Amino acid sequence: MKYRPERLVIEKGVAGSPLVKRILETLPGISVDWVDELKEDADGENGSFLEIVKFRGRFIKPCPGTRFYNCCGYQILNLGIHCSLGCTYCILQAYFTSRNVRLFANLDDAIQQLTEHLDNSRRQTHRIGTGEFTDSLLLDPLIHLSEHLVPLFAAQPNAILELKTKTAQVDLLENLDHRGHTIVAWSLNPPQVIAGEESGAAPLEARLEAAQRCQRWGYRVAFHFDPLLAYPGWQQGYQEVVDRLFSAVAPGGIAWISLGTLRFMPSLKTIIQQRYPNTSILDEEFIPGLDGKLRYFRDLRVEMYAHLNELLLGIHKDLCVYLCMESDDVWREALGFSPAERGGLSAMLDRRALS
Amino acid sequence: MTEKESYSIQLDEVDWNDASCLITYGPLPDKLTLSIQTVGLIQKPLLQRNRDGLLRIVCGSRRLAVCQQLGLEPLSCEILPTSISPETCLRMAIYDNIAQRDLNPVEKSLVLTKMAQHEDQAQLIQEFMPLLNLEPSTVIFGRYKKLLLMEESILDAIAGGTLHERIGFVLSPLEQGDRFAFFNFFQELPFSVSVQEELVETVVEIGRRDNLTPREVLDSAEVNDLRRAHKRSARQRVQEIRKQLLATRAPRLTAREERFDREVGKLKLPAGVRVVPPPYFEGPRWSLECTFERGDELATRLRQLAELADQPEFKQIMESE
Repeated sequence: MKYRPERLVIEKGVAGSPLVKRILETLPGISVDWVDELKEDADGENGSFLEIVKFRGRFIKPCPGTRFYNCCGYQILNLGIHCSLGCTYCILQAYFTSRNVRLFANLDDAIQQLTEHLDNSRRQTHRIGTGEFTDSLLLDPLIHLSEHLVPLFAAQPNAILELKTKTAQVDLLENLDHRGHTIVAWSLNPPQVIAGEESGAAPLEARLEAAQRCQRWGYRVAFHFDPLLAYPGWQQGYQEVVDRLFSAVAPGGIAWISLGTLRFMPSLKTIIQQRYPNTSILDEEFIPGLDGKLRYFRDLRVEMYAHLNELLLGIHKDLCVYLCMESDDVWREALGFSPAERGGLSAMLDRRALS
Repeated sequence: MTEKESYSIQLDEVDWNDASCLITYGPLPDKLTLSIQTVGLIQKPLLQRNRDGLLRIVCGSRRLAVCQQLGLEPLSCEILPTSISPETCLRMAIYDNIAQRDLNPVEKSLVLTKMAQHEDQAQLIQEFMPLLNLEPSTVIFGRYKKLLLMEESILDAIAGGTLHERIGFVLSPLEQGDRFAFFNFFQELPFSVSVQEELVETVVEIGRRDNLTPREVLDSAEVNDLRRAHKRSARQRVQEIRKQLLATRAPRLTAREERFDREVGKLKLPAGVRVVPPPYFEGPRWSLECTFERGDELATRLRQLAELADQPEFKQIMESE
């Protein structure tokens, strides 16, 4: 499962970066294309090429929410895009033309921007994640990014780093000085869903075992039931995941658990049909949401959230369970309250982040 | 300018099987037959002698076909030297045709498919798609290329305008039997093009979900009953079939709509008042429409509505099952 690209495509301008040197040392003999500037339509698929470039934009940005649904106020530290896990439902397929994994080599610029950003807003609590446009830990064995980020966040009084992953690649986290400022998070789904729709990702047991190890090393962990998928027998499937989750990890060490049903931009539908003709994730009925994305019909979403919430709170009533991109009426019907009643979703999570 | 010479030819010298430059598709226009019948061949066809000594048609295939039908020969034609490449001949055929008329979708497909044998795809898209009044796009290029893989009767319908090329695009990836099931369905009932597109998507998705072929979905008892309900107008049948298929594809939404209608019916709203749920019941914004003619009428309705709004039945219509 460890990511090993077939080929590197490296912009000549970043040839001297420490990150490039480390990758070349770790992958001796790998074919390398040195290019002046990367083409957007380069060959390669499902992460077979690793593109290494200089990123010239803003590394840190707010998560692109929408005014129609409750947004959690997350911030994204964008250090690369795409991944090789090949999840059928992956929204990145619609965001990016290329299917290659791309890594930004100018890590020093990223860290400088991040530090300035945190310094400029000391009073604000920052929940920052690297797993929005790629998997946070996919490349870690290759580039040791966690060795830079975890100590950096450990020194920030007002910031939490969330590493979101579907891998079990946590070895490098063991000896890092995190001081409670890094949360390691996994996306969870039933084993049959993982086998069919997340076939390149780690099996459920491996993810839970990795979470257990992180708890042992003092990290708080988080879980994202996102996307929740409706399939025949989903109730039982997710019940089993919840049972296995709590037999592996201590509920008191869980920062939060998010729930979000499958949703995607309409343009992704054709891409999924073409790339994964045997997937059944499009069989359920979808309606256009207020943000233009296709989502399950409201009543089904409410049913799924309420079911999961009951399962989770039935095990530990103090868990922080929240919905990703849902409206107040869905919150109230599924969870019994709206974020506004608890000071807003962002404040709810900020309190958990620094507790 | 390409050098060519005029010759008088017999029609048995023409290689009718050589379609390398043939980009016309569809029946011979009656007016062309009438014209040649009345005043003879005005514009000379352009041909090229091939290795077998026969003549390959470059431009004027329909004129030659009419002459053959009418038994007109010998014919005065222009003959290209053998040194002219097949690509140049094809370009002559294409430019000759587009200068005179708009090509039908099958002909556009023929142009793109035949030129693709000579030209790099990117170049082809940039040069020829605008000439054919098409957006220069790889996706659209791919769709047109696939049109030609379909059966002659479907191509005839597309060329003749009785089946829109957009429907051809969505039918082309299907199995032959499914394609014909849709084709016959659309020839039978007056669905608009956008509804045809929607139905193909809906039926294919129902089939995928229920493990049925699209043909089996179209052949279901529910659809067939509506299809054969000849007492209803064709337009009514179209609407009911569409509703039936959408309900099969989206049973949750349909059930919610039915429940809403039932519950609103029970509320006995005052005349001229309508409760409108958010589209797809998504989001919190419900609305109320109230029409009235006088101020006192409005006041009465608002009082009645205020009472209704407090009823548990009214709140219930806004909640999930």
